[in-house]
Amino acid sequence: MRTRTLTTVLAALLLLAGCAGETTPTSQDATAAGGSLTWGWHLPSTWDPVTSTVGQDVHALSLAYAALTKQDVDGNAVPALAEGWEYNATGDEVTFTLRDGLTFTDGTPLDAEAVKASLLRGRDAPDSTIGAQLGVVTDIRVDSPTEVTLLLNQPDYQIPLLLSGKTGMIVSPTAVETDVAGLATQPAGAGPFALDEYVPASHATLHKNEDYWDADAILVDDFELRVPPDPTVAVAGIQSGQFDVAVIPPAQLEAARAAGLEVDVIDVFTVRVLDVNNTVEPFDDPLVTQAISHAIDRQELVDVAFFGEGDPNWQPFPRDYLAWNDELDQLYPFDQDRARELLAQAGYPDGVAVTLTTQAENDPLAELLQQQLQEVGIDVTLEVATPGANNYVTRQYPFVVDSFSGRESPLQSLEVLFGPEGLMNLGRNAPPEIQQAIDVARSTPLDDPGYEQAVQDAVAAAVTTMPNTFLFTWPRIFARDPSVQGLEHYIGTQRFEGVTVGR
Amino acid sequence: MRALRLAVRQRAARIALAVLGVVVLLMITGEWLAPYDPLHQDTTAILAGPSAEHWLGTDYVGRDVLSRLLAGSRLSVIAAAEAVGLGLLLGVLPGLASVYVGRVFEWLSLRVMDGLMALPFIIFAIAVAALLGNGLHQAMFAVGVLMAPSFYRVTRAAAIGLRQAQYVEAATLFGATRWRVVRTHVWQKVLPTVVVTTATAMAGALLVVSSLTFLGIGVQPPAPTWGGMLASDLGYLTQRPFGPVAPALLIIVTVAALNALADAMTVDPATTQEAPDALRR
Repeated sequence: MRTRTLTTVLAALLLLAGCAGETTPTSQDATAAGGSLTWGWHLPSTWDPVTSTVGQDVHALSLAYAALTKQDVDGNAVPALAEGWEYNATGDEVTFTLRDGLTFTDGTPLDAEAVKASLLRGRDAPDSTIGAQLGVVTDIRVDSPTEVTLLLNQPDYQIPLLLSGKTGMIVSPTAVETDVAGLATQPAGAGPFALDEYVPASHATLHKNEDYWDADAILVDDFELRVPPDPTVAVAGIQSGQFDVAVIPPAQLEAARAAGLEVDVIDVFTVRVLDVNNTVEPFDDPLVTQAISHAIDRQELVDVAFFGEGDPNWQPFPRDYLAWNDELDQLYPFDQDRARELLAQAGYPDGVAVTLTTQAENDPLAELLQQQLQEVGIDVTLEVATPGANNYVTRQYPFVVDSFSGRESPLQSLEVLFGPEGLMNLGRNAPPEIQQAIDVARSTPLDDPGYEQAVQDAVAAAVTTMPNTFLFTWPRIFARDPSVQGLEHYIGTQRFEGVTVGR
Repeated sequence: MRALRLAVRQRAARIALAVLGVVVLLMITGEWLAPYDPLHQDTTAILAGPSAEHWLGTDYVGRDVLSRLLAGSRLSVIAAAEAVGLGLLLGVLPGLASVYVGRVFEWLSLRVMDGLMALPFIIFAIAVAALLGNGLHQAMFAVGVLMAPSFYRVTRAAAIGLRQAQYVEAATLFGATRWRVVRTHVWQKVLPTVVVTTATAMAGALLVVSSLTFLGIGVQPPAPTWGGMLASDLGYLTQRPFGPVAPALLIIVTVAALNALADAMTVDPATTQEAPDALRR
């Protein structure tokens, strides 16, 4: 680590020598407290937030990009590039006020015009993966260099939440105009860090962006993102200094603690779920999917497959999140007799055969589910998905062990899971009551006393009518060197404001 | 099988054959020898250490490891044999044909084999699984196809040397057909080389099958295989540090036995005949 810091300082000095007269803010503080942090986490599918195809890219992208808003630890939208926002009386226009003097890491000013260009590209680019989320935006009006108004096709108070993730990350218009393809490997944002080097499938090194709007809160000078270590060597990797913080599976918790590492078990949006296509027999009968849910001993899944880390769950959000609906807890409790009854009612008194698809061999979760379902007469054949198969698009597998990481907006989450075009709605159908409930919540201001109830009603409308079978919450587990301090537990995107490294 | 007969005179080969005999026995009787149902889960006793009840402990969902190892022998070995069989078929016949059929076939087959040799095993197997579906036969098809060049090369090399042999030329002069020459005079000389290559390839195939199941390609869960067990055990080293030892040992011992047998068979028969004791150090 020390060698790397020295190398960085030397490189910075050489750069200074070569660029006399230019200022390199990062080099000035390279020797100051803060040092370098290496994070074992997944590299993004691309460094362009508009074309990113993987949900978890948001963690890596938020190192290089800033959005108009950001999520706090509880998942609420708080100011970021925009110091505030205001809706009109009817809720179909929202004006964001930008901070003064913002710039991208490529030197381009980040003003209202840049925000407009970036969001419109996100909505309209043919290869955009965030176009659907921005479909509600009919136009964008620049009111002044620091004021930009989004015109919406319906009252929608979710916009500040929506824009706190990939959807709201602002990309430099200069980079888009000069080399839009280059964004895949060279981000051009205004985030807390600027990219120095990116080696796909290996690592990315970044340095602190002194022009970041919240630069004072960034206390490390250099940041390295490395592909997560193999679980079997994760602990050794942190002990040896290869990583400062790394994601580990529950099976490594004991080893990490025994090695004297700090362990953060973070309750995040992610839940394990069975995707179900309700247009395929026997899942076209809701009694069958209810029987499946009753047949599953969720606590056993948590205890055996995840060493007790996680909570049994019947809905797509973790407890303590505002969208959590208390009435849905124990919606289909573990009851094998009830499961058999429901199967008989559905016309399968002697049981039924199904194929359950899993993403990997040696998946204890799938193997446990197989045994649990078999005990009530559901004969499960396990099948490993073809590598690279995108079942959300092909929908070739009707019954799949999956996970779902909530989006920045709880209503966006519901649309992904249950919307008629939702990626995880394998049947691509939904009763209209769900959309009606979502629309009611969408048109309710976030600070309205009835907002939480409206969201929870939408969750209930969806969970009680759709086949997706939620299993349990799946915490994010970090092991870190004890010298890493200040790591906050974010329910959504992990952030590094206030984090220091002592070694 | 003169090569095998001669090899048996060596102690290493006899030990290797004994080990392989045990493996074959396990393959045939493993399922019946298993003390428990290899698929039965006991979630109250996961990742347990060795005990009187479970000699090799239990795995991540409480299944008896010994039973899974025994039951997994058949699938692991059959998978490797399937790949080697396909490699033999796709390698040996074109290898002989490339020498005796004609220049066009020779040129074409050489280019195809060169192309196959350039493909990496694992990547090709993943691509085949993506194309044909993720299953044992699909994965073994991929492995078998990529093994073909090894058989092709050694068969062709041996056959080329024999083409100019005096007794082959004499047979041709006496009017023997090309088919008769190949069947009577060439094949018997090529066979020992092919047998040696088969033993080596079998060892390689076992490793590749293990690697592929390690990566989740090929065998569908919860069917046990040695490679699959090794992969899953590695994820629980903290809880069962000895876990990977048993499946790894089985793979190592079987592969070593196959390699030892192949080595013994490559020893010059003449030398072996004259001084067999010298090789029994």
